[in-house]
Amino acid sequence: MARINLRNVSRTWSDFVAVDNLSLEIADREFLVLLGPSGCGKTTTLRMIAGLEDVSSGEIWIGSRLVNKLEPKDRDIAMVFQSYGLYPNLTVYENICFPLRMRKVSPDKYENLVTRAARMVELTDLLRRRPAQLSGGQRQRVALARAIVRQPQVFLMDEPLSNLDAKLRITTRAQIKSLQAELQTTTIYVTHDQIEAMTLADRVVIMNGGVIQQIGTPTDIYDRPANTFVAGFIGSPPMNLMHGNIADGVFSGQNALVCGLETNYNGPATLGFRAEDARITPESVAEITSEVLAVELLGEATSVSMNAGDTIVCVKTNKNFRAQIGDAIKVIVPVECCHLFNTHTGEKLAK
Amino acid sequence: MGHDRSHNVYSFVAYHRRVSFFVDIMGLVQSSRGFFSKSDWRNALHGIYTLAETGSAFTGAGYYGAWIENEFWLAVINTGIVVVSVVLISLTFGTLGGYALARSTKRYTIWLLFIALAFRAMPHITLVSGYLLPFFELNIWGFLPTAIIVLVAINQPFTLWMLHSFFLSIPKELDESALVDGCTRIQAFRHAIMPVMWPGVITTGLFSFLLAYNDFAVTATLLSQHNQTMVPKIASFLGTTQVEGNVMFAVASVVSATVPLFILVMFFQRQIVSGLTAGAVKG
Repeated sequence: MARINLRNVSRTWSDFVAVDNLSLEIADREFLVLLGPSGCGKTTTLRMIAGLEDVSSGEIWIGSRLVNKLEPKDRDIAMVFQSYGLYPNLTVYENICFPLRMRKVSPDKYENLVTRAARMVELTDLLRRRPAQLSGGQRQRVALARAIVRQPQVFLMDEPLSNLDAKLRITTRAQIKSLQAELQTTTIYVTHDQIEAMTLADRVVIMNGGVIQQIGTPTDIYDRPANTFVAGFIGSPPMNLMHGNIADGVFSGQNALVCGLETNYNGPATLGFRAEDARITPESVAEITSEVLAVELLGEATSVSMNAGDTIVCVKTNKNFRAQIGDAIKVIVPVECCHLFNTHTGEKLAK
Repeated sequence: MGHDRSHNVYSFVAYHRRVSFFVDIMGLVQSSRGFFSKSDWRNALHGIYTLAETGSAFTGAGYYGAWIENEFWLAVINTGIVVVSVVLISLTFGTLGGYALARSTKRYTIWLLFIALAFRAMPHITLVSGYLLPFFELNIWGFLPTAIIVLVAINQPFTLWMLHSFFLSIPKELDESALVDGCTRIQAFRHAIMPVMWPGVITTGLFSFLLAYNDFAVTATLLSQHNQTMVPKIASFLGTTQVEGNVMFAVASVVSATVPLFILVMFFQRQIVSGLTAGAVKG
């Protein structure tokens, strides 16, 4: 069990900055998810903590130790890789046992520790098999068992579910969550899948271009995105963002006029709202008026897209709603659900 | 003289005709020599000249002359020493170097590989002629270790390239999980990589075996007569055709030199093909 501290950590190659001056504190027993699009530096950050990647500048602390110069084996961590990284020549039992063997744990403890780890990930029946004889989900569970068998201070997981099919991803996700709750080990989990991030994390770190965009609980980042990047990245569909102008609390853009906003800001701004917060209305007083571009049936709801100036706005409504393409449509956005951003910097505007 | 020679060739062919299938192929090749030189090529199959000369359709005289009288056995031992040393040395360096190059993130690795390729691309004889003078000056010309070092040097670029690309096909996660699981770099190589590297190493080893085994340029120029390997020895049989029976000795030695290759290829053909198309070491 340990807290992890990153202080001004950077990773640069000659002409490319992968991670740019990143500072982050991870509490003991926390489940932290690094989330971002590919190439945002999240995996590099994780690999630097693991010691598989050199740190260009800055300090990484695990517990009370500065680990910058330590080999991966001396950092007391365990890692789960996207492509499993199992030893193909060893059986499942030997794979799980491998970290114990390498760390000179006395052989009479092997049996106990391995069976305990195998039971936690439900692999007890497969211990004699080789990795080639297992399915993807089973392989990833072997990798999980190999990580937990030694009870390290930190778990590092690099997109462990990305190679699994959709159904298996959900069950393995739940398994990881319950494992972490049971073991209470500090965990850093890298993913590009926002659903994984939302469901697993105590806190989510959203990264882009090697820089942290926002740190917060899943509710935080969903309800209070710090900038347009987070707003446009989180949620399915992501937050609608419309460009326009604010004057005296009134936002005006193409096809849109929203009144009663609580802000002192005047000038160009971006208005954001979630598809499920807006409401289609038959009333004459509407805030967005446009024509239907597409109607998509999602089962539990109907998603209606419309053109608003140069952007497409998406609204989720009653599952029985039907409209033809080209029909006129009116939408009301409750003021308390509106998010305002600076158009140039993308940052959230102060209320 | 010409008559003697060709009938001896026939005798060799006849002797071997029924021995085994691959000598049959040799028989066909060699019979064409008879076809060009004298009367009827079918004499090779019936062995009438051999019958007339020795009283039997089969004779081992060619082998006796080559192996015993002309000390071909010594060339065989020399070849064995050279080939085994070359394979072992170039595989050791090739494996470690190929692994290091495959896992290095530095940019100069590709340049190292290109330089190696450039040396591999040069005709061997151009390299060897450059070695001659310093070897004479250092007084190390003619010895087996000298030829071994030169053959390793010529061989190394190839083994490096081949093993480099083979190690690239082994997922990096394998060593990385070993590193995280408590291994040093060397231990990770030993425990995670070595168990899965044998197909690539065997294939590469076979190719460097063939290179050393078949080499003529290096062994012919750098070895003294006593230290000659099989290939230059065979060439020397062919060089002085005035002596009776030389071509027969050459043919007998050629068969002797070819037999191990056939056995090797038949035995390892699966490894050769699977090694060449390798890449699927996924756990």
